[in-house]
Amino acid sequence: MGEYAIEVLGLTKTFRRQTAVDHVSFRVARGRFFGFLGPNGAGKSTTIRMLTGLLRPTSGDAVVEGVRLSGDLLALKGRIGVLTEELPLYERLTGEEHLLFAARMHGLPRPEARRRTEELLDFLSLADERGKLVVDYSQGMRKKLALACALVHGPQVLFLDEPLNGIDPVSGRVVSDLLRRLTARGVTLFFTSHGLDVVERLCDEVAVIDRGRIVAQGTLDEIRAQREMGGAASLEDVFLKLVEADVRREDLSWIG
Amino acid sequence: MDRLIALVLLRWRLEARAVLGSRGRLAGLLVALPALAFMSVAAAFVAFAFARVGEEGQPELVLPALSALFAVFGLTWALSPLLAGLAATETHDLGKLLTYPVSLPVLVFSSLVANVLQPTVLAQVPPLAALALGLGGGGPRALVAFAGLAFALALVVASGQAVGLTLHAISRHRRLHDRALLLGLVFGVFLSLLPVVLLSRGGAAARRLGLALLERDVFALVPFSWGARAAVHAGRGEALLFLGWAGGAVLALAAVVGVSAVLAQRLYRGELDVGEAPHARGARARMRLPGVVGAVLEKDLRLVWRDPRLKALVFTGVLGPLLLLFILSQGVAGPPRPGLLVGLASFTGLGALGANAFAFERTGLGLLLGLPADRLSILVGKNLAVIALRAPALLALSLATLFVAGPGFVPAVATVVLLTQILAAGADNYLSILAPVPVPAAGRDPSAPVSGTRGLGAAALLLVAVVATLVLSAPLVFLAWLPQLLGERWLFALALPLALAGSAAVYFMATSGAARLLERREPELVARMAGED
Repeated sequence: MGEYAIEVLGLTKTFRRQTAVDHVSFRVARGRFFGFLGPNGAGKSTTIRMLTGLLRPTSGDAVVEGVRLSGDLLALKGRIGVLTEELPLYERLTGEEHLLFAARMHGLPRPEARRRTEELLDFLSLADERGKLVVDYSQGMRKKLALACALVHGPQVLFLDEPLNGIDPVSGRVVSDLLRRLTARGVTLFFTSHGLDVVERLCDEVAVIDRGRIVAQGTLDEIRAQREMGGAASLEDVFLKLVEADVRREDLSWIG
Repeated sequence: MDRLIALVLLRWRLEARAVLGSRGRLAGLLVALPALAFMSVAAAFVAFAFARVGEEGQPELVLPALSALFAVFGLTWALSPLLAGLAATETHDLGKLLTYPVSLPVLVFSSLVANVLQPTVLAQVPPLAALALGLGGGGPRALVAFAGLAFALALVVASGQAVGLTLHAISRHRRLHDRALLLGLVFGVFLSLLPVVLLSRGGAAARRLGLALLERDVFALVPFSWGARAAVHAGRGEALLFLGWAGGAVLALAAVVGVSAVLAQRLYRGELDVGEAPHARGARARMRLPGVVGAVLEKDLRLVWRDPRLKALVFTGVLGPLLLLFILSQGVAGPPRPGLLVGLASFTGLGALGANAFAFERTGLGLLLGLPADRLSILVGKNLAVIALRAPALLALSLATLFVAGPGFVPAVATVVLLTQILAAGADNYLSILAPVPVPAAGRDPSAPVSGTRGLGAAALLLVAVVATLVLSAPLVFLAWLPQLLGERWLFALALPLALAGSAAVYFMATSGAARLLERREPELVARMAGED
């Protein structure tokens, strides 16, 4: 297997006449914490869904952990963990049943599935809510449960769409520490977030997508250098410049 | 006042957009509106004739009969959120409006006004007007009678709103909420069966009970009937009695609107806590069945058992064949013929068609298809769940066969049900992959009707699946029934296992093909279910 966990080549997705992702190409080295940034509707979630085999690309291809998107998708799904924005969960299973189910579907033996379920419930502070139906979970609890489902089989690549959004600060710290430990052990993280401070703190490398096209990729220093921005420029400054954001500064007429 | 108008207009605009923005709902409305208008006009003729004939022929029966009619109508309408899992008229989503400086009574009242002017409510106006004309014979008496009937209708609609809010109040306790919905659905099924029972040979006792209740005018105690009683008295020129009953109806209306306002206020401020969500650390959850097939089967059984609408489907699945047997046996002297039992068994087995294996998944489909389990096992697990959920129907038909035809027929009837179910589940896999039931976008009501649900193409596919199931099952059904035709009952021991084995072989061939189709169409299926295609 090569040094890259993810290699994307000319990936394109068109919905009816609208191109959501337009000939996107990039590579992510194994064990990297890769941030995928972009404004709302830029094509981040569509890219993740294509890379995880949940959406068929209109054209282009990608290789994730040595498996082509046009190849054996089941093998791909066994090697990755996915946390999508819409949190696909069964509302009338309890949190514990949900984790056991996910573990069993990944082919874990029963005692191992039980052990990992217990650890994940404790680790993500869900143990006290284990018997509650998912429909009664708060948004943050649902996110933690979906994250637990993505982690239960020990994936080699994790695709996380806004994993920290809606999670309380304590759990957020626990999760981000865990993610850092995972990359230290060689797991590759593909991560989207609108919290640029989090991305700046966690990610080794970022790519910025805008209107379906990659507009920059590299470490933050490399992007600053490409855009001729000083070393003091924050990721937020860089991001706003990259997506050519129109930040209105004038006051509202009825507010003084 | 302008806030009230703005709220009512907002509600209509939202509803109009919901209809115009969805081809399926628009088509549904275009079909439903003429039907609604026709029913309304037909009901108007019946109401007029009832009032005229009743007042001239048996005036003493008009009051109790009309009271009973309005009591049942009011009860059914008010309980519609429970009976159908869907309100005949909806309550505003007050939660979105609470940040505005508008009082709760105004919000509740605006919701009521918006409801009163909806097509389903407006369709009640012609029959009520005709009834008023029939009671008052034209002129001012008819107008006053109509006012009484309008109070009755307003009370019914307001009560529906209050029930909707109450249901919302208990939704915090999900399992209690689910139980309430299930009870409502079961009650709804019984209500819909009532006419069959009353018309059947065995309905004499029920009819006697109904007549006794009418004679004692028991329904006068139900507030839904008070407006109607006022209308009858208005038609007869009895001013004091009209004022009494109409006053009662108005008071009841005010009380219901008041209860709704208080309920809404306490509900949205978090002061109403109808039981807490069940807490947590009790017994450890277990997934008992082995392998991927077991995990999927167990998950589906748990989901269905906890979802009141899905559970109600299972319940009606049990009642369907029994009801059919009951209806078919009404005109027959003696026990039903064995051929009828075979037909009924095939019909019961066909119930597995249209189960739509992925409909249960709703938003969970993205998770399920994101898992690396082999697709044949997933389909088999889901089909086993479909068959297991229909086991009560098999049991019910077997018991009915035992009582009406004797124990000798039970194994053959049960085998025919089972083999047809197995083949139907195999055929249904293609339906669920090629014409799945889409789920609403995230954040929408998962039970709401969605644009793009199975259309004409899907109906044609269903027809093909029914024919294919019948054609494939015919030789196996014949094999299962052959010992009976030959009069050699001992042959059942050979024929029944052979028929089941045959159906299992055909099922696995069909399902292997479906699994390959699923692998190819997974992304399209996920997109379709998310309403993105």
